[in-house]
Amino acid sequence: MTDRSTWTFVALAGLLVVVAGALPMLADARPAYEIPAPTVEEDLAGTDAAGWEEVPAAEVPLESAPSGLPNAETVSTRSVDVQAARSDGEVYLRMQWQDAEASESASAPQDFADAVAVQIPADPGEQPAIAMGSQSNLVNVWYWSDDTGTEELLAGGQGSTTAFDNASVQTWAEHAGSGENGTWTVVFNRPAEPAGDNRTVITGDEDLDIAFAVWDGGNAERSGHKAVSGWYYLPFAGDSGGPPFESILWAIAGLAIVAVVVVTIQGVRRARAGGGE
Amino acid sequence: MAHENFEIADGVDHQVAMVMDLNKCIGCQTCTVACKSIWTEREGTEYMYWNNVETRPGKGYPRRWEEKGGGWASEEHTERTPGEIPSSEDYGEAWEFDHEGILKEGEDKKLAPEGGKPEWGPNWDEDQGAGEHPNSYYFYLPRICNHCTHPSCVEACPRQAVYKREEDGVVLVDQDRCRGYRYCVEGCPYKKIYYNAVSKNSEKCVFCYPRIEGEGPDDEVQPPACADQCVTQLRLAGYLDDTEGPIYKLVEQYEVALPLHPEYQTTPNVYYIPPFAPPQHSEDGETVDVDRIPRSYLEQLFGERVNDALDTIEQERQKVERGGYSELMEILQDRNPAEQYRLEVFSDD
Repeated sequence: MTDRSTWTFVALAGLLVVVAGALPMLADARPAYEIPAPTVEEDLAGTDAAGWEEVPAAEVPLESAPSGLPNAETVSTRSVDVQAARSDGEVYLRMQWQDAEASESASAPQDFADAVAVQIPADPGEQPAIAMGSQSNLVNVWYWSDDTGTEELLAGGQGSTTAFDNASVQTWAEHAGSGENGTWTVVFNRPAEPAGDNRTVITGDEDLDIAFAVWDGGNAERSGHKAVSGWYYLPFAGDSGGPPFESILWAIAGLAIVAVVVVTIQGVRRARAGGGE
Repeated sequence: MAHENFEIADGVDHQVAMVMDLNKCIGCQTCTVACKSIWTEREGTEYMYWNNVETRPGKGYPRRWEEKGGGWASEEHTERTPGEIPSSEDYGEAWEFDHEGILKEGEDKKLAPEGGKPEWGPNWDEDQGAGEHPNSYYFYLPRICNHCTHPSCVEACPRQAVYKREEDGVVLVDQDRCRGYRYCVEGCPYKKIYYNAVSKNSEKCVFCYPRIEGEGPDDEVQPPACADQCVTQLRLAGYLDDTEGPIYKLVEQYEVALPLHPEYQTTPNVYYIPPFAPPQHSEDGETVDVDRIPRSYLEQLFGERVNDALDTIEQERQKVERGGYSELMEILQDRNPAEQYRLEVFSDD
């Protein structure tokens, strides 16, 4: 094998390494628990606003919250599709989930309305307890139900939600279809950096922890009887390729493969050269 | 505060209480109207009767409330009994009448509930009772919130919006904290908390606390409106721990005033003097020595202690009939009206 063919082989091996390294990244376009949050120029204000077409959705699995309330373990909603985007100083979230029939109003003693909520830390630098935060680490909750409308809440532990005065959150909501195709779509919008104490300031400089909850009013879900996610995050820190350690591991693995190929080729060449003497 | 003979809730200074003598109730609903006029003539409260009077035996208000769970599983008060929220139909919808059309616009139709013939409502089974002629029977049972010593509604609320007031044990719903989850409605075995679909909060009897605080008419301490307006003045209002008062004597000393459904384990603070009725008659009209109201039925409502209570009252009555003196009979006959409402005994505390 000539030097030229050796280097061609090495180059091919290197290419293979790059492709092999990139494949898992392509197959799983983002790290687990990341909700992409691109900046979008087009309109996001509405359940069918044009801007949502260019925002990738993350499917977030949900399970019952361990609240200890009666029937808390039986929840209807298994997952929610979440889209997040930034636009001109505003943050938007669109959530969509299957619900055969809209429970829109609590106009009778036994009726409960469907609802959805987003939870973020009041202080984005520190991840609070998942169940409504704690007294020392508060959360902001953006809540919507068709019965009571939109609420912007502050919480410091279970049972402590308190409404902010003058909510800075607005919503758009729509239920379409029925049965298997019945779907709620709710869009939350809030300025990234609103005024007021204890309101989460979303600077865009650091990732934002975020969690989700859905209540099926038809199943008498309310309060801590709800379907919830764990913590996810919006990758506002600028690196949407995932945590750095993952790239470093792939780089080390790639270099190791290249080194093994080079050493093997050198060995084969030496062996052939020795055999020809 | 330590109380030797009886229990009041931890953290509560005094416990308001009411005794209702069922032998005096004529089912006139004046208490119901008094309560409704003051407290539940707002939007969303139309179907609510914080005070109601139901005929017994009967299904009650809301319909079959005794079958809807709630309360505590045992006297340990560690585990609650699951409960359910009554339906609109069980409460009975507030009927709409076309007064305007009939009375002012001359529409030719009967004054009847709009939207079809109703099939149930509060007091629907009034005076039906039970038994066969000539031994049929019924009595009236006025009901308000029991302001329990172990209120399961308080425990049921995940937001601590329902609480027992420190100064007098009145159970209240903090309307600012309440978010209308209705776990209290499920949790109350007496179904005396109601959901307001307009305010989106739950609400209940407040023992007319502004009146007992002197914030009512004429800036004077007044008894709860249901007691004040009662035609036969069958209610005593005061404090269970007022050991000089008639409520303490009836409940703790003579043990003739009993809580409704003590097996719910919430320790109510509304007590009832159980009803007497004439004995049964034979077919030819002769009196026979058989209780008209079966003791078994009264035991269902008030527990086995109802037997001793009725025996005690009977003995004291016979004592008076023989010309003797009975403090118990004096109390039951309201011979001293000044004692009926002892609501200022702790006002200097």
